[in-house]
Amino acid sequence: MKRLLLSLAVCMMIVAPVLSAHGAEKPITVGFPMYLSGGGAVFGKPSSQGAMMYVKEVNDAGGVLGRKIELIVRDCSGSPEEATRVAKELINKNNIDFLVGGLTGSQGFALSEVAKQEKILYIAPISKPAEICEPPKLHKYVFRAAANTKTEGRSAAVLMSKLPITRIATISPDYSYGQGVTAAFVERIKKLKPEVEIVHQAWPKLGETDYTPFITVLMASKPEAVFCSLWGGHFITFTKQAKDYGLFEKFKFVSAGEGGCIESIKGAGDDMPLGIISNAYDTFYYPDTDWHKDWVARCKAYTGEEYPSSWMGTGYDAMKFLVEAIKKAGSTDTDKVIQALEGLIIDSTAGKLTMRAKDHQATRGQYWGTVAKVAEYPFPILQPVEYIPADDLMD
Amino acid sequence: MSYDLPFITIQILTGLTNAMFIFLIASGLSVIFGVQGIINFAHGSFYMLGAYMTHQCVSLFIHSPHRFWAAVVLAPVVVALFGGLIERFLLRRLYGREELTQLLFTYALVLILGDVIRIFWGIEQFSVSRPPVLKGAVEIFGQFFPKYNIFILIMGPCVAFLFWFFMLRTRWGRMIRAAAQDRETLNALGVNVNRLFTVVFILGTWLAALGGALVAPATSIKPGMDIDVIITAFVVVVIGGLGSFWGTFLGSIIVGIVYSLGILVFPRLSIVFIYVIMILVLIIRPWGLLGRPLTLER
Repeated sequence: MKRLLLSLAVCMMIVAPVLSAHGAEKPITVGFPMYLSGGGAVFGKPSSQGAMMYVKEVNDAGGVLGRKIELIVRDCSGSPEEATRVAKELINKNNIDFLVGGLTGSQGFALSEVAKQEKILYIAPISKPAEICEPPKLHKYVFRAAANTKTEGRSAAVLMSKLPITRIATISPDYSYGQGVTAAFVERIKKLKPEVEIVHQAWPKLGETDYTPFITVLMASKPEAVFCSLWGGHFITFTKQAKDYGLFEKFKFVSAGEGGCIESIKGAGDDMPLGIISNAYDTFYYPDTDWHKDWVARCKAYTGEEYPSSWMGTGYDAMKFLVEAIKKAGSTDTDKVIQALEGLIIDSTAGKLTMRAKDHQATRGQYWGTVAKVAEYPFPILQPVEYIPADDLMD
Repeated sequence: MSYDLPFITIQILTGLTNAMFIFLIASGLSVIFGVQGIINFAHGSFYMLGAYMTHQCVSLFIHSPHRFWAAVVLAPVVVALFGGLIERFLLRRLYGREELTQLLFTYALVLILGDVIRIFWGIEQFSVSRPPVLKGAVEIFGQFFPKYNIFILIMGPCVAFLFWFFMLRTRWGRMIRAAAQDRETLNALGVNVNRLFTVVFILGTWLAALGGALVAPATSIKPGMDIDVIITAFVVVVIGGLGSFWGTFLGSIIVGIVYSLGILVFPRLSIVFIYVIMILVLIIRPWGLLGRPLTLER
């Protein structure tokens, strides 16, 4: 009797998985390495939340091609080596079909390299250096849903050219992103306003803790306006140190690098300088259109945050590009999805975006505005604010 | 751009301020190594904990105009006591073991404390404002110099002097210096060396956390700030001499001034100067500028 039961149990164990697999389709797996611990986590976490929210919406509506999407989010902190390691693990152990992720510029380069070697489709949701999608680094497997250093720098130049100034100083972190966005800014401002003079360029290292020697030299060069591309915690540290020197009162200040996002504004607290021009990927308070209000409401519901982060759209839109391409291709075959993705237009969290076929970049612009205190919110916001589209600013 | 005297003066003062920031952070590292022979990788973590605790205290006393001062007093003490608990119940078990074991332990502490901070405070960035009396700047030779910087310029030497007085003129200080030289003999003389080491560890941690508290209004309190400072702290301590308190002071001044003046000469290479100096010191005088040439058997 015992033997019969035992053999019955063994049979069940063998048969059961086969039975269950027969009913369900294998899910489409997407690997999502992201900066979730350390200095950049404050942006990486909402980006991953945006991706997860989109996947949930798609799965709740029945999935794509009759299959669910399985998003595997893994922490790769801030180093490109860690991002590479995590991505390779996802590819080899979890057999992911597609790769989306990375936050810093160097992580974007690293993951693009992995994608090229492993012949897997990779979409960068945040990495900005323009070179990732330019020859010789551009290859068929890499796409970028984010804005890039050229559109960001040139948008800043457009805004700066409207100000009545000719002497400009720049302060930017000395690595791929800072160099790229500053070079784009300088090139465009000189084109728009040839009489402009770049009187000084400060290059603190990425992760600098003391900006004061750079601040004093910059101020001594007597600019009329300052272009800055420090971001996140670096920007906050800089503003706290620059405040007492009266830098923001003396000169016009244009800050790329998402100085206008909630995390930076809240993080700077009382030291957030008012009257500076800055940008953000999204602004929960603008525009007042139905689709945007719906997007903000869904973010609030999903995260429970009263003021949703501007970074959620990065993960959301990257995933949307991927899934819409899969739908259009009618298949998860990498080459077919790549073909479908080239030239694809989606309704993103920032309006209509095109994934250009010629360089695999999305025409992603950003919101730019002036930091001001308002009655409705307990922290400053960008007001007035406008969306500067990327179309005219891309090569 | 002309570098006139007033500008150079401000640049030097800026460098000295930076030097005092670094000194306040690195001094605890030097103390712990000088007495116990332990290289405390977790030093940056206690500094970070000090900064986070300062933010916590400031939020606690949000309605008081003196909240910053209360935090500067309270936060380092809390962190120091926590450090004492770690020493008493964890680190002490590793004395007499291979030095590598102790090193690994302090490295493990870095990872653990980093996660503990993330559990309690999340991944947000926090900001502590300067106290009202230290906001704004004074004019020196027509240039602006923040009041908070002047405060730090005074605090650095004050802490150094306080520490020197403690070590040289008090009974505890004498015992600590004796333990640094020869702990076996001191033990044989009836002094509880283990308890002494706990005190030293508490002292070192207190200095680290005090550094965190004083730096808080001038920086962003965020995950990863422990890694940002630990390299500079080690460079300073190596240049000055591991175990030499005044060496740390000297090393900080060298690093601070070289960096701030280096920017004027080689804007993008100034960071290299400090490492070049460290390499030169290691080649010419490996025990540091004010360190002791002979390392005693521990």
